[in-house]
Amino acid sequence: MIDLSVRGLYKKYQNFELNNVSFDLEHGTITGFIGRNGAGKTTTLKSLLNLVHPNSGEILFFGKSFKENEFEIKQKIGFVAGGIDYYPKKKIKTITETTRRFYKNWDDKAYNHYMDLFNLDENKSPDELSAGMKVKYSLVLALSHNAELLILDEPTSGLDPVSRDDLLDVFMGLSEEGITILFSTHITSDLDKCADNIIYIKNGGVLASTDLNSFLRKYKVLDLTDNQLTDELKSKLVGYKKNKHGYSALIKASDSENINLKISDTDLESIMVHLEKESS
Amino acid sequence: MKTMLYKEFKLSMHPTSIIFLSLSAMMLIPNYPYYMTFFYTTLAIFFTCLSGRENHDIFYTMTLPIRKRDIVKSRFLLVTILELAQVITAIPFAIIRGTFNLPGNYVGMDANVAFFGLSFLMLGLFNLVFFTKYYKDTDKVGTSFLLGTIVITLFMIIAEASVHAVPFVKNYLDTKDPEFLTYKLVVLTAGIALYIVLTLFSYQRSVRSFEALDL
Repeated sequence: MIDLSVRGLYKKYQNFELNNVSFDLEHGTITGFIGRNGAGKTTTLKSLLNLVHPNSGEILFFGKSFKENEFEIKQKIGFVAGGIDYYPKKKIKTITETTRRFYKNWDDKAYNHYMDLFNLDENKSPDELSAGMKVKYSLVLALSHNAELLILDEPTSGLDPVSRDDLLDVFMGLSEEGITILFSTHITSDLDKCADNIIYIKNGGVLASTDLNSFLRKYKVLDLTDNQLTDELKSKLVGYKKNKHGYSALIKASDSENINLKISDTDLESIMVHLEKESS
Repeated sequence: MKTMLYKEFKLSMHPTSIIFLSLSAMMLIPNYPYYMTFFYTTLAIFFTCLSGRENHDIFYTMTLPIRKRDIVKSRFLLVTILELAQVITAIPFAIIRGTFNLPGNYVGMDANVAFFGLSFLMLGLFNLVFFTKYYKDTDKVGTSFLLGTIVITLFMIIAEASVHAVPFVKNYLDTKDPEFLTYKLVVLTAGIALYIVLTLFSYQRSVRSFEALDL
Protein backbone atom coordinates (compact mmCIF):
# COMPACT_ATOMS: atom_id res chain seq x y z
CA MET A 1 0.00 0.00 0.00
CA ILE A 2 1.28 3.45 -0.89
CA ASP A 3 0.74 6.01 1.87
CA LEU A 4 2.15 8.97 0.02
CA SER A 5 2.68 9.44 -3.65
CA VAL A 6 4.32 12.52 -5.12
CA ARG A 7 4.44 13.07 -8.86
CA GLY A 8 6.22 15.78 -10.79
CA LEU A 9 6.39 18.33 -8.00
CA TYR A 10 7.62 21.61 -9.44
CA LYS A 11 8.16 24.85 -7.60
CA LYS A 12 9.96 27.85 -8.97
CA TYR A 13 11.68 30.46 -6.82
CA GLN A 14 13.82 33.30 -8.03
CA ASN A 15 17.11 31.52 -7.36
CA PHE A 16 16.02 27.97 -6.87
CA GLU A 17 13.84 25.43 -8.52
CA LEU A 18 12.34 22.23 -7.21
CA ASN A 19 12.20 20.18 -10.34
CA ASN A 20 10.06 17.15 -11.08
CA VAL A 21 10.26 15.60 -7.61
CA SER A 22 8.53 12.22 -7.57
CA PHE A 23 8.52 9.44 -5.01
CA ASP A 24 6.31 6.93 -3.23
CA LEU A 25 6.22 5.89 0.42
CA GLU A 26 5.27 2.28 1.11
CA HIS A 27 3.16 1.66 4.18
CA GLY A 28 5.22 0.88 7.29
CA THR A 29 8.59 1.86 5.88
CA ILE A 30 11.18 4.35 7.02
CA THR A 31 12.39 6.62 4.27
CA GLY A 32 15.29 8.97 4.67
CA PHE A 33 15.22 12.16 2.72
CA ILE A 34 18.78 13.31 2.24
CA GLY A 35 20.55 16.13 0.55
CA ARG A 36 22.80 19.04 1.40
CA ASN A 37 21.59 22.16 3.12
CA GLY A 38 19.56 24.05 0.56
CA ALA A 39 18.99 21.06 -1.72
CA GLY A 40 15.21 21.44 -1.42
CA LYS A 41 14.32 19.08 1.41
CA THR A 42 12.31 21.51 3.49
CA THR A 43 10.65 23.05 0.44
CA THR A 44 9.52 19.59 -0.64
CA LEU A 45 8.16 18.75 2.79
CA LYS A 46 6.42 22.10 3.07
CA SER A 47 4.85 21.58 -0.36
CA LEU A 48 3.39 18.31 0.84
CA LEU A 49 1.34 20.19 3.44
CA ASN A 50 0.45 23.12 1.26
CA LEU A 51 2.64 25.46 3.30
CA VAL A 52 4.20 26.44 0.01
CA HIS A 53 2.31 26.14 -3.25
CA PRO A 54 3.94 24.04 -5.94
CA ASN A 55 3.54 25.38 -9.47
CA SER A 56 2.59 21.91 -10.59
CA GLY A 57 2.59 18.30 -9.48
CA GLU A 58 0.31 15.84 -7.79
CA ILE A 59 0.37 14.86 -4.11
CA LEU A 60 -1.74 11.96 -2.92
CA PHE A 61 -1.95 10.95 0.73
CA PHE A 62 -3.53 7.53 1.21
CA GLY A 63 -4.67 7.76 -2.40
CA LYS A 64 -6.46 11.07 -1.88
CA SER A 65 -5.58 14.53 -3.07
CA PHE A 66 -4.35 16.75 -0.25
CA LYS A 67 -6.08 19.89 -1.44
CA GLU A 68 -9.56 18.39 -1.43
CA ASN A 69 -9.07 16.34 1.75
CA GLU A 70 -6.78 18.58 3.79
CA PHE A 71 -8.81 18.23 6.97
CA GLU A 72 -9.17 14.45 6.84
CA ILE A 73 -5.56 13.81 5.80
CA LYS A 74 -4.11 16.01 8.51
CA GLN A 75 -5.94 13.89 11.09
CA LYS A 76 -3.87 10.93 9.93
CA ILE A 77 -0.44 12.48 9.64
CA GLY A 78 2.02 14.02 12.02
CA PHE A 79 4.24 16.83 10.78
CA VAL A 80 7.26 17.65 12.86
CA ALA A 81 9.69 20.36 11.84
CA GLY A 82 12.78 19.90 13.95
CA GLY A 83 11.78 20.31 17.56
CA ILE A 84 8.85 22.53 18.39
CA ASP A 85 9.69 26.15 18.00
CA TYR A 86 6.20 27.48 18.57
CA TYR A 87 4.91 28.99 21.78
CA PRO A 88 8.24 28.46 23.58
CA LYS A 89 7.07 30.23 26.75
CA LYS A 90 3.78 28.42 27.21
CA LYS A 91 3.57 25.35 29.37
CA ILE A 92 3.55 22.06 27.53
CA LYS A 93 0.33 21.29 29.36
CA THR A 94 -1.34 24.26 27.70
CA ILE A 95 -0.04 23.38 24.26
CA THR A 96 -1.25 19.80 24.63
CA GLU A 97 -4.61 20.89 25.99
CA THR A 98 -5.12 23.01 22.88
CA THR A 99 -3.69 20.58 20.36
CA ARG A 100 -5.67 17.55 21.53
CA ARG A 101 -8.98 19.24 20.82
CA PHE A 102 -8.25 19.25 17.11
CA TYR A 103 -7.98 15.49 16.73
CA LYS A 104 -10.83 13.04 16.51
CA ASN A 105 -8.55 10.15 17.41
CA TRP A 106 -6.68 11.74 20.26
CA ASP A 107 -5.57 9.03 22.65
CA ASP A 108 -4.81 10.19 26.21
CA LYS A 109 -3.42 6.80 27.10
CA ALA A 110 -0.89 6.94 24.29
CA TYR A 111 -0.07 10.53 25.24
CA ASN A 112 0.69 9.63 28.85
CA HIS A 113 2.57 6.55 27.75
CA TYR A 114 4.93 8.48 25.47
CA MET A 115 5.32 11.37 27.92
CA ASP A 116 6.49 8.84 30.50
CA LEU A 117 8.62 6.95 28.02
CA PHE A 118 10.45 10.11 27.01
CA ASN A 119 10.58 11.50 30.56
CA LEU A 120 8.81 14.70 29.60
CA ASP A 121 7.42 17.03 32.25
CA GLU A 122 4.13 18.72 31.30
CA ASN A 123 4.82 21.67 33.56
CA LYS A 124 7.85 22.79 31.62
CA SER A 125 7.78 25.11 28.64
CA PRO A 126 9.47 24.22 25.35
CA ASP A 127 12.19 26.76 26.15
CA GLU A 128 13.16 24.68 29.16
CA LEU A 129 13.61 21.53 27.08
CA SER A 130 16.79 20.37 25.38
CA ALA A 131 16.79 20.02 21.60
CA GLY A 132 16.26 16.28 21.92
CA MET A 133 13.36 16.68 24.33
CA LYS A 134 11.69 19.16 21.97
CA VAL A 135 11.78 16.64 19.15
CA LYS A 136 10.43 14.01 21.48
CA TYR A 137 7.58 16.23 22.59
CA SER A 138 6.56 16.93 19.02
CA LEU A 139 6.71 13.21 18.36
CA VAL A 140 4.46 12.63 21.36
CA LEU A 141 1.91 15.04 19.88
CA ALA A 142 2.06 13.22 16.54
CA LEU A 143 1.82 9.78 18.11
CA SER A 144 -1.03 10.65 20.45
CA HIS A 145 -3.43 11.25 17.58
CA ASN A 146 -2.55 7.90 16.07
CA ALA A 147 -0.82 9.33 13.04
CA GLU A 148 -0.26 6.73 10.37
CA LEU A 149 2.33 8.74 8.55
CA LEU A 150 4.99 10.87 10.19
CA ILE A 151 6.75 13.56 8.21
CA LEU A 152 9.73 14.88 10.08
CA ASP A 153 12.00 17.67 8.97
CA GLU A 154 15.49 17.12 10.37
CA PRO A 155 14.40 15.57 13.64
CA THR A 156 17.90 14.45 14.52
CA SER A 157 19.90 17.59 13.86
CA GLY A 158 21.08 19.17 17.06
CA LEU A 159 20.87 15.93 19.02
CA ASP A 160 23.84 14.27 20.68
CA PRO A 161 24.77 10.79 19.38
CA VAL A 162 23.04 8.96 22.22
CA SER A 163 19.76 10.88 21.92
CA ARG A 164 19.92 10.40 18.17
CA ASP A 165 20.32 6.69 18.63
CA ASP A 166 17.39 6.66 21.07
CA LEU A 167 15.24 8.46 18.57
CA LEU A 168 16.15 6.10 15.76
CA ASP A 169 15.20 3.20 18.01
CA VAL A 170 11.83 4.86 18.49
CA PHE A 171 11.45 5.19 14.72
CA MET A 172 12.21 1.53 14.20
CA GLY A 173 9.72 0.54 16.86
CA LEU A 174 7.04 2.69 15.22
CA SER A 175 7.75 1.28 11.81
CA GLU A 176 7.25 -2.22 13.20
CA GLU A 177 3.83 -1.08 14.38
CA GLY A 178 3.02 -0.14 10.80
CA ILE A 179 3.66 3.58 10.94
CA THR A 180 5.20 5.11 7.85
CA ILE A 181 8.01 7.57 8.43
CA LEU A 182 9.59 10.10 6.12
CA PHE A 183 12.38 12.09 7.66
CA SER A 184 14.84 14.49 6.19
CA THR A 185 18.36 14.65 7.46
CA HIS A 186 21.85 15.41 6.38
CA ILE A 187 23.29 13.04 8.97
CA THR A 188 23.80 10.02 6.78
CA SER A 189 24.64 7.60 9.57
CA ASP A 190 21.03 7.95 10.80
CA LEU A 191 19.92 6.34 7.59
CA ASP A 192 22.59 3.64 7.57
CA LYS A 193 21.06 2.58 10.82
CA CYS A 194 17.34 2.62 10.27
CA ALA A 195 16.16 3.55 6.78
CA ASP A 196 14.51 1.10 4.40
CA ASN A 197 14.53 3.54 1.53
CA ILE A 198 16.19 6.77 0.64
CA ILE A 199 15.28 9.72 -1.45
CA TYR A 200 18.35 11.66 -2.40
CA ILE A 201 17.75 15.21 -3.54
CA LYS A 202 20.34 17.42 -5.12
CA ASN A 203 19.87 20.99 -6.42
CA GLY A 204 16.11 20.57 -6.35
CA GLY A 205 16.02 17.30 -8.31
CA VAL A 206 15.72 13.72 -7.13
CA LEU A 207 18.98 11.91 -7.78
CA ALA A 208 17.85 8.58 -6.39
CA SER A 209 14.70 7.17 -4.88
CA THR A 210 15.30 3.57 -4.05
CA ASP A 211 15.86 1.09 -1.27
CA LEU A 212 18.95 1.82 0.73
CA ASN A 213 20.81 -1.43 0.14
CA SER A 214 20.56 -1.42 -3.61
CA PHE A 215 21.67 2.21 -3.59
CA LEU A 216 24.72 1.29 -1.53
CA ARG A 217 25.50 -1.70 -3.75
CA LYS A 218 25.72 0.57 -6.78
CA TYR A 219 28.98 2.07 -5.59
CA LYS A 220 32.36 0.93 -4.24
CA VAL A 221 35.15 2.77 -2.51
CA LEU A 222 38.79 2.60 -3.61
CA ASP A 223 41.75 3.48 -1.45
CA LEU A 224 44.54 4.64 -3.71
CA THR A 225 48.10 5.77 -3.43
CA ASP A 226 49.39 8.61 -5.60
CA ASN A 227 50.81 6.15 -8.15
CA GLN A 228 47.65 4.13 -8.43
CA LEU A 229 45.56 7.10 -9.46
CA THR A 230 46.23 6.92 -13.17
CA ASP A 231 44.46 8.96 -15.82
CA GLU A 232 42.81 5.82 -17.11
CA LEU A 233 41.39 5.06 -13.70
CA LYS A 234 40.32 8.67 -13.19
CA SER A 235 38.02 8.43 -16.17
CA LYS A 236 36.14 5.59 -14.52
CA LEU A 237 35.76 7.22 -11.13
CA VAL A 238 32.70 9.07 -9.94
CA GLY A 239 35.04 11.22 -7.90
CA TYR A 240 38.17 11.16 -5.84
CA LYS A 241 39.64 13.24 -3.11
CA LYS A 242 42.85 13.47 -1.25
CA ASN A 243 43.19 12.06 2.20
CA LYS A 244 46.06 11.45 4.61
CA HIS A 245 47.23 8.25 2.96
CA GLY A 246 46.70 9.03 -0.69
CA TYR A 247 43.28 9.19 -2.28
CA SER A 248 39.87 7.83 -1.59
CA ALA A 249 37.72 7.39 -4.64
CA LEU A 250 34.18 6.40 -5.47
CA ILE A 251 33.46 4.15 -8.41
CA LYS A 252 30.29 2.65 -9.79
CA ALA A 253 30.13 -1.03 -8.86
CA SER A 254 29.70 -1.93 -12.53
CA ASP A 255 32.98 -0.18 -13.41
CA SER A 256 34.94 -1.78 -10.61
CA GLU A 257 34.97 -5.39 -11.77
CA ASN A 258 38.32 -5.54 -13.55
CA ILE A 259 40.21 -3.35 -11.18
CA ASN A 260 42.89 -4.98 -9.09
CA LEU A 261 42.97 -2.57 -6.22
CA LYS A 262 41.71 -2.48 -2.68
CA ILE A 263 37.96 -2.19 -3.09
CA SER A 264 35.52 -1.93 -0.24
CA ASP A 265 31.84 -1.43 0.32
CA THR A 266 30.70 2.11 0.77
CA ASP A 267 28.40 3.98 3.07
CA LEU A 268 26.00 6.82 2.36
CA GLU A 269 28.38 9.47 3.57
CA SER A 270 31.10 8.56 1.06
CA ILE A 271 28.59 8.45 -1.76
CA MET A 272 27.10 11.77 -0.79
CA VAL A 273 30.43 13.52 -0.40
CA HIS A 274 31.73 12.29 -3.73
CA LEU A 275 28.53 12.94 -5.62
CA GLU A 276 28.22 16.44 -4.24
CA LYS A 277 31.89 17.31 -4.77
CA GLU A 278 31.96 15.97 -8.28
CA SER A 279 29.64 18.68 -9.42
CA SER A 280 31.42 21.52 -7.68
CA MET B 1 -14.28 26.58 14.51
CA LYS B 2 -15.01 26.32 18.22
CA THR B 3 -11.68 24.58 18.65
CA MET B 4 -9.91 27.21 16.62
CA LEU B 5 -11.44 29.96 18.76
CA TYR B 6 -10.32 28.11 21.87
CA LYS B 7 -6.82 28.10 20.43
CA GLU B 8 -7.06 31.81 19.61
CA PHE B 9 -8.01 32.69 23.18
CA LYS B 10 -5.77 30.20 24.93
CA LEU B 11 -2.58 30.50 22.90
CA SER B 12 -2.71 33.39 20.46
CA MET B 13 -4.46 36.29 22.16
CA HIS B 14 -2.10 38.76 23.75
CA PRO B 15 -3.00 39.44 27.43
CA THR B 16 -3.20 43.19 26.80
CA SER B 17 -6.37 42.49 24.81
CA ILE B 18 -8.17 41.88 28.09
CA ILE B 19 -6.35 44.59 30.02
CA PHE B 20 -7.20 47.19 27.37
CA LEU B 21 -10.90 46.45 27.84
CA SER B 22 -10.61 48.28 31.14
CA LEU B 23 -9.66 51.37 29.15
CA SER B 24 -13.32 51.65 28.24
CA ALA B 25 -13.44 53.56 31.54
CA MET B 26 -11.77 56.44 29.71
CA MET B 27 -15.29 57.44 28.73
CA LEU B 28 -15.39 58.99 32.21
CA ILE B 29 -12.59 61.45 31.47
CA PRO B 30 -14.33 64.85 31.26
CA ASN B 31 -12.59 66.09 28.12
CA TYR B 32 -10.94 63.58 25.85
CA PRO B 33 -10.94 62.28 22.29
CA TYR B 34 -12.91 59.15 23.18
CA TYR B 35 -12.01 57.44 19.90
CA MET B 36 -8.65 56.75 21.55
CA THR B 37 -10.31 53.97 23.56
CA PHE B 38 -10.79 52.02 20.35
CA PHE B 39 -7.29 52.78 19.20
CA TYR B 40 -6.18 50.66 22.15
CA THR B 41 -8.31 47.81 20.82
CA THR B 42 -6.43 47.96 17.55
CA LEU B 43 -3.17 48.05 19.50
CA ALA B 44 -4.16 44.79 21.22
CA ILE B 45 -4.89 43.26 17.82
CA PHE B 46 -1.45 44.36 16.67
CA PHE B 47 0.18 42.81 19.76
CA THR B 48 -1.67 39.55 19.14
CA CYS B 49 -0.51 39.33 15.52
CA LEU B 50 3.01 40.36 16.48
CA SER B 51 3.35 37.79 19.24
CA GLY B 52 1.86 35.28 16.82
CA ARG B 53 4.75 35.94 14.49
CA GLU B 54 7.33 35.57 17.26
CA ASN B 55 5.68 32.37 18.51
CA HIS B 56 5.35 30.82 15.03
CA ASP B 57 1.62 30.67 15.55
CA ILE B 58 0.76 30.20 11.88
CA PHE B 59 3.22 27.36 11.46
CA TYR B 60 1.87 25.59 14.52
CA THR B 61 -1.68 26.06 13.35
CA MET B 62 -0.92 24.85 9.84
CA THR B 63 0.21 21.48 11.19
CA LEU B 64 -3.19 21.01 12.87
CA PRO B 65 -6.07 19.40 11.02
CA ILE B 66 -7.65 22.60 9.77
CA ARG B 67 -8.02 24.30 6.42
CA LYS B 68 -5.71 27.20 5.74
CA ARG B 69 -8.63 29.62 5.43
CA ASP B 70 -9.75 28.68 8.96
CA ILE B 71 -6.72 30.54 10.28
CA VAL B 72 -8.05 33.77 8.81
CA LYS B 73 -11.60 33.04 9.90
CA SER B 74 -10.70 32.37 13.52
CA ARG B 75 -8.52 35.47 13.70
CA PHE B 76 -11.36 37.63 12.34
CA LEU B 77 -13.71 36.08 14.88
CA LEU B 78 -11.32 36.82 17.73
CA VAL B 79 -10.88 40.38 16.53
CA THR B 80 -14.60 41.06 16.14
CA ILE B 81 -15.23 39.62 19.59
CA LEU B 82 -12.57 41.92 21.07
CA GLU B 83 -13.91 44.96 19.24
CA LEU B 84 -17.48 44.25 20.29
CA ALA B 85 -16.34 43.63 23.86
CA GLN B 86 -14.65 47.03 23.88
CA VAL B 87 -17.82 48.72 22.65
CA ILE B 88 -20.02 46.84 25.10
CA THR B 89 -17.78 47.63 28.07
CA ALA B 90 -17.65 51.28 27.02
CA ILE B 91 -21.42 51.71 26.92
CA PRO B 92 -22.02 51.62 30.73
CA PHE B 93 -19.29 54.23 31.26
CA ALA B 94 -20.83 56.44 28.59
CA ILE B 95 -24.20 56.07 30.32
CA ILE B 96 -22.70 56.87 33.72
CA ARG B 97 -21.14 59.97 32.24
CA GLY B 98 -24.40 60.96 30.60
CA THR B 99 -26.39 60.68 33.82
CA PHE B 100 -24.36 63.37 35.55
CA ASN B 101 -25.02 66.93 34.72
CA LEU B 102 -21.57 67.60 33.33
CA PRO B 103 -20.70 70.02 30.55
CA GLY B 104 -20.11 68.37 27.16
CA ASN B 105 -16.74 67.18 25.93
CA TYR B 106 -14.73 70.25 24.88
CA VAL B 107 -12.17 68.24 22.90
CA GLY B 108 -14.48 66.56 20.49
CA MET B 109 -17.44 64.29 20.23
CA ASP B 110 -19.54 63.45 23.29
CA ALA B 111 -19.70 59.77 24.22
CA ASN B 112 -23.22 59.37 22.81
CA VAL B 113 -25.12 57.10 20.46
CA ALA B 114 -23.69 58.72 17.33
CA PHE B 115 -20.19 58.42 18.74
CA PHE B 116 -20.56 54.64 18.93
CA GLY B 117 -21.74 54.53 15.32
CA LEU B 118 -18.67 56.47 14.21
CA SER B 119 -16.46 54.23 16.35
CA PHE B 120 -17.83 51.18 14.55
CA LEU B 121 -16.93 52.82 11.27
CA MET B 122 -13.42 53.52 12.55
CA LEU B 123 -12.91 49.90 13.62
CA GLY B 124 -14.24 48.71 10.26
CA LEU B 125 -11.70 50.93 8.48
CA PHE B 126 -8.94 49.50 10.64
CA ASN B 127 -10.00 45.93 9.89
CA LEU B 128 -10.02 46.70 6.21
CA VAL B 129 -6.59 48.34 6.02
CA PHE B 130 -4.73 46.27 8.59
CA PHE B 131 -5.84 42.77 7.63
CA THR B 132 -5.77 43.10 3.85
CA LYS B 133 -2.13 44.17 4.19
CA TYR B 134 -1.25 41.69 6.96
CA TYR B 135 -2.49 38.60 5.14
CA LYS B 136 -0.43 39.44 2.06
CA ASP B 137 2.66 38.85 4.17
CA THR B 138 2.10 37.80 7.76
CA ASP B 139 5.66 38.74 8.69
CA LYS B 140 4.94 42.40 8.00
CA VAL B 141 2.84 43.08 11.09
CA GLY B 142 4.47 46.46 11.75
CA THR B 143 3.87 47.88 8.28
CA SER B 144 0.27 46.70 8.35
CA PHE B 145 -0.31 48.35 11.72
CA LEU B 146 1.34 51.56 10.58
CA LEU B 147 -1.05 51.77 7.64
CA GLY B 148 -4.01 50.93 9.86
CA THR B 149 -2.96 53.59 12.36
CA ILE B 150 -2.53 56.26 9.69
CA VAL B 151 -6.04 55.62 8.44
CA ILE B 152 -7.72 55.71 11.84
CA THR B 153 -5.69 58.76 12.88
CA LEU B 154 -6.98 60.59 9.82
CA PHE B 155 -10.45 59.39 10.68
CA MET B 156 -10.15 60.70 14.24
CA ILE B 157 -8.83 64.08 13.08
CA ILE B 158 -11.66 64.49 10.58
CA ALA B 159 -14.32 63.25 13.02
CA GLU B 160 -13.18 65.44 15.89
CA ALA B 161 -12.58 68.49 13.68
CA SER B 162 -16.06 68.20 12.20
CA VAL B 163 -17.49 68.54 15.70
CA HIS B 164 -16.10 72.08 15.69
CA ALA B 165 -16.37 72.88 12.01
CA VAL B 166 -19.49 71.20 10.62
CA PRO B 167 -22.68 72.78 11.97
CA PHE B 168 -24.80 69.62 11.58
CA VAL B 169 -22.35 67.52 13.59
CA LYS B 170 -21.93 70.28 16.14
CA ASN B 171 -25.60 71.05 16.65
CA TYR B 172 -27.23 67.66 16.24
CA LEU B 173 -24.74 64.83 16.72
CA ASP B 174 -22.45 66.27 19.39
CA THR B 175 -25.24 66.66 21.91
CA LYS B 176 -26.30 64.86 25.01
CA ASP B 177 -28.50 61.80 24.65
CA PRO B 178 -31.41 61.58 24.13
CA GLU B 179 -31.46 64.90 22.22
CA PHE B 180 -31.84 64.41 18.44
CA LEU B 181 -31.86 60.66 19.01
CA THR B 182 -33.26 59.90 15.56
CA TYR B 183 -30.25 61.45 13.81
CA LYS B 184 -27.91 59.64 16.16
CA LEU B 185 -29.63 56.31 15.68
CA VAL B 186 -29.23 56.72 11.93
CA VAL B 187 -25.51 57.31 12.43
CA LEU B 188 -25.28 54.29 14.74
CA THR B 189 -27.09 52.01 12.30
CA ALA B 190 -25.01 53.25 9.38
CA GLY B 191 -21.83 52.79 11.45
CA ILE B 192 -22.70 49.22 12.34
CA ALA B 193 -23.68 48.41 8.75
CA LEU B 194 -20.43 49.85 7.41
CA TYR B 195 -18.46 47.98 10.07
CA ILE B 196 -20.01 44.71 8.92
CA VAL B 197 -19.48 45.44 5.23
CA LEU B 198 -15.87 46.59 5.64
CA THR B 199 -14.95 43.67 7.91
CA LEU B 200 -16.55 41.08 5.62
CA PHE B 201 -14.89 42.58 2.58
CA SER B 202 -11.55 42.57 4.41
CA TYR B 203 -12.10 38.94 5.44
CA GLN B 204 -12.74 37.82 1.89
CA ARG B 205 -9.69 39.58 0.53
CA SER B 206 -7.55 38.29 3.40
CA VAL B 207 -8.57 34.70 2.74
CA ARG B 208 -7.64 35.09 -0.90
CA SER B 209 -4.19 36.54 -0.24
CA PHE B 210 -3.45 34.15 2.62
CA GLU B 211 -4.35 31.11 0.50
CA ALA B 212 -1.83 32.26 -2.08
CA LEU B 213 0.91 32.99 0.45
CA ASP B 214 3.93 30.67 0.69
CA LEU B 215 4.80 30.17 4.34
